[in-house]
Amino acid sequence: MTAPLVEIQSLFQDRLLAGRADIQSHLKDAGPFLHVYDHAYEARLVEVMGEDFPAVHTLLGDDGFAEASKIYVRAHPSHARSIRWLGKDFAAWLRATDPWSDVPVVGDMAAFEWALGLAFDAPDAEALAAEALASVPPEAWPVLMFELHPSLNVFHLSYDVGPFQQAVAREDDPDAAPAALGESQVWAAWRDAETLTVRYRALPSDEAAGLDVLLGGGEFQTLCEVLAEQGDPEDAALRAAGFLKHWLDAGWITGLSAEGMSWS
Amino acid sequence: MTHSPSAFKGFGLGLRPQHFPDILGGGGKGDDAADSARHDVDWFEIISENFIAVGGRPLHNLMAVRERYPMVMHGVSLSIGAPDPLDRDYLSGLKTLADRIEPVVVSDHLCWTGAHGVNLHDLLPLPLTEESLDHVAARIRQVQDVLGRRIAMENASTYVTFTADTMTEWDFLAELTQRADCDLLLDINNVYVSAFNHGFDAQDYLNGVPVDRVRQIHLAGHENNGDHIVDTHDAPVIDPVWDLYRDAVRRFGAVPTMIERDANIPPFAELLAELAIARRMSARALDEVAA
Repeated sequence: MTAPLVEIQSLFQDRLLAGRADIQSHLKDAGPFLHVYDHAYEARLVEVMGEDFPAVHTLLGDDGFAEASKIYVRAHPSHARSIRWLGKDFAAWLRATDPWSDVPVVGDMAAFEWALGLAFDAPDAEALAAEALASVPPEAWPVLMFELHPSLNVFHLSYDVGPFQQAVAREDDPDAAPAALGESQVWAAWRDAETLTVRYRALPSDEAAGLDVLLGGGEFQTLCEVLAEQGDPEDAALRAAGFLKHWLDAGWITGLSAEGMSWS
Repeated sequence: MTHSPSAFKGFGLGLRPQHFPDILGGGGKGDDAADSARHDVDWFEIISENFIAVGGRPLHNLMAVRERYPMVMHGVSLSIGAPDPLDRDYLSGLKTLADRIEPVVVSDHLCWTGAHGVNLHDLLPLPLTEESLDHVAARIRQVQDVLGRRIAMENASTYVTFTADTMTEWDFLAELTQRADCDLLLDINNVYVSAFNHGFDAQDYLNGVPVDRVRQIHLAGHENNGDHIVDTHDAPVIDPVWDLYRDAVRRFGAVPTMIERDANIPPFAELLAELAIARRMSARALDEVAA
C-alpha cells in the first residue's frame, strides 16, 4: 500500500525543517543523495539572509551571522511565495532573542537594512501635487484622510547605523562602530520618485507622532490633536499644515479623501 | 510590444540585475556593450517572483529591457505539486505581471516547494504516480484558466526517487502534457543530472518527450561530486550536456534556447560567448538533420 502524496510531502518537509528520518522509508535505497536537499535548504536561506543584511553580517562576522541566520530561519520558516520576504521578522527576532538582544545595535542594523529594502522596491505610486491641498473645501479638512506612498516606512533606532551601513554597501571598511544616539529615535525611509534612490532621516518627535497618525489611517483633526499635545495647542493646526506640505514635497502623500470625495 | 508565440525564436539569457548596465547602456563603455548585446541576445527570461508587486528601480529596469527585447517569465514558487490550494494572490500577481510585459512563455517547475503553508524555496521531487499526475494536471488547468494561456512545465533536477514511482519522468511529462494541455520547458542539464543520479539513459528521456510540446530549452552547468551531480547552475555548460543539446535539437528542432546562470554570475560577455556556442551548435545540428 502506497502512502498518499500529502503524507510523503509532509514527511519530506519534516526532514528539511526538523531533520526527521521517516521519509527515507519512502525513498529508493533510502535516498543516498537526500543530503543534497538537506544542505540546499539551509544554505539557500542563509545565503539570502546575507544578501539582505550585509551590514548585520559585517557586525556579527561570518560565523556569528551564519549562526544567527540558521537559528532565525528555523524559528521563522518562510510562508511567502518570494524569498524576498524571508528576513521580515529578523530585526524583531534579534531584538528579542538572547544573546543578540544584549547587543541592540545588531537589531537596529537589521531594522535599518530591512527598511531600506522596503523603500527600494515597494510598488510605485504617483505622489500627490502640493496644489491638491488647495482644492480641499474647508469643511472637509477635519475629516481629511491621507494615503501614503508604499515605499515610506518608519522604524526605531537607538544607534546611528547609517554611516556604517553605507560603508558596507560601498564595500568599504566602516571607520567606526555605530554610535549610540542617547535615546531611541523614529526614522523614516522612502524612495525618491525622480532618482528612484532610497533616502532616510531621523524624525523630530512631534513629526514622528504626526506621521504615526497618518500611518494609522487617522484624520487631519486627530493629527492636530496629537500635535497639540506635543507643543503649543494654539498653533497645532498651523504646524500640522506645515508638516503636510513638507510630506507632500517629499512625495510621501499619494492621495487625500474625505466623506466620499478623494483627490489623487 | 506584442510578440506572437509563433515568432518566438532564437537564443536568450536569464536577466540578472548585475547585467542591467551591459544591457541598457547608460553612457560610455556600457553603450558599446548594449549595442553588442542587441546583436547577440534575442530575448531575456526573468524570474517572475522578483517582479511581482515590485516597483522602483527593479521595475524601471525591467520595463526598459522589455522595450528592447521580448521576454519569457520563469517562476520558482508556483508549487504545482503541493498539497495546499493554489495561492490565488500569487496567481493574481503573476497575471498582472504577465499582462504588463506580455511574455512569450510563462513557465515554472514540475515540483512542489512546500506544504501546509510553508515555502521551503527549493524544487522538491514528486513521486511519479497516477495520483501525482492527476493532482498536477488538475492544478495546471486551474493555473492556465487564471492566466488565460498555456504554461510550460520544466523538468527539475532530482536527487531521490520514490518507492511509490510507477513510471519514468519522461512518461509522466508526456502524459501530463495531454491531461493538462500544457507545454514543456526542457532543461537539458537537468536531464543529464537526473540521468546521472538515477542511472537512466538521457537519450531515453529525450526520446520520450513529445516533440510538439517543447517550447523552450534551458542550458546550464553543474557540480560533479563523483557519485552524484548537484544542479548548481553556477558554471559553464559541460561538453556532454552540449552533446545532449545537439541531440535535442535534432529531435525537437529550432526550439528557443537560453543559458541559465543562477549563481556565480560571470561578466555579461562571458554569457554571450556561451550563448554563441549554443547558436553554432544548434545551426550545425539543424544542418545535419536537413542533409
